[in-house]
Amino acid sequence: MVKILLLVLLAELVTVVGQILFKKAANQVEPYSLRGIAAQLRFMKDILTKPAIWLGLLAMILGLVIWLAALAQGDLSLVFSLGSMQYILILFLAHVFLGEKIDKMKFIGTFLVVLGIVLIAMT
Amino acid sequence: MKNSQLTFKIFFLIVLNDIGDTLAQLILKKGLIQTGISSVTFGNLAEFITANAASLLVWLGFLIYAVNFIIWMIILYRIDLSIAMPVGSTCYIFVPIVAVIFLHERVSPLRWLGILCIVLGIHFVSQSKSTTKGRA
Repeated sequence: MVKILLLVLLAELVTVVGQILFKKAANQVEPYSLRGIAAQLRFMKDILTKPAIWLGLLAMILGLVIWLAALAQGDLSLVFSLGSMQYILILFLAHVFLGEKIDKMKFIGTFLVVLGIVLIAMT
Repeated sequence: MKNSQLTFKIFFLIVLNDIGDTLAQLILKKGLIQTGISSVTFGNLAEFITANAASLLVWLGFLIYAVNFIIWMIILYRIDLSIAMPVGSTCYIFVPIVAVIFLHERVSPLRWLGILCIVLGIHFVSQSKSTTKGRA
């Protein structure tokens, strides 16, 4: 049980770091309109030339491997409900590393989503 | 969603991303079953990869993942990660509803309660202000 908990936590932490790196890369692209194919292609080029995106992909793959290891060990509904903690991790780590504000609405909403997933996993 | 930066367009992209993710997982699972190697060890890892690399379904699954990646980056370009992530839990709502309508599955009261919590949660998060500005 403790081992599964640690594995799921690690998988989530690594995945969340990956998402934060993705967001960092997206924030590094200067603002312009994404209207039209030319702009979208330019956006893809801009995104894929940011080192953060490749580090993020690496983290995602690593996270997936740890995630699969956790799934192989533990019962699906347990792993699934523990998995909802990544929303809480995102809430706080996005605040620390990306400066995203935590307001009352976001805080309450995130915890409701987590509660909902735990309830679904219990059935 | 009047006061929030979560416009209908971004919400639509997030739902599309969710559907793509679910679809890709179903297709990959089908592909892996079709290939028929049920257990993976270090010994048959090479065989596992080459056998699945010949599967059209496996390639289709990866293609959807690639398209999904582009959609996700466009979403992140426009809105906070801490908004996009919880709102991206719409699949927990749609999958049971689809299962009820098309597969005539029964959904337990506790599960409906969970779904209600997620709907409310998404609504609350969508009301919060995004820090990512000027990119809509």
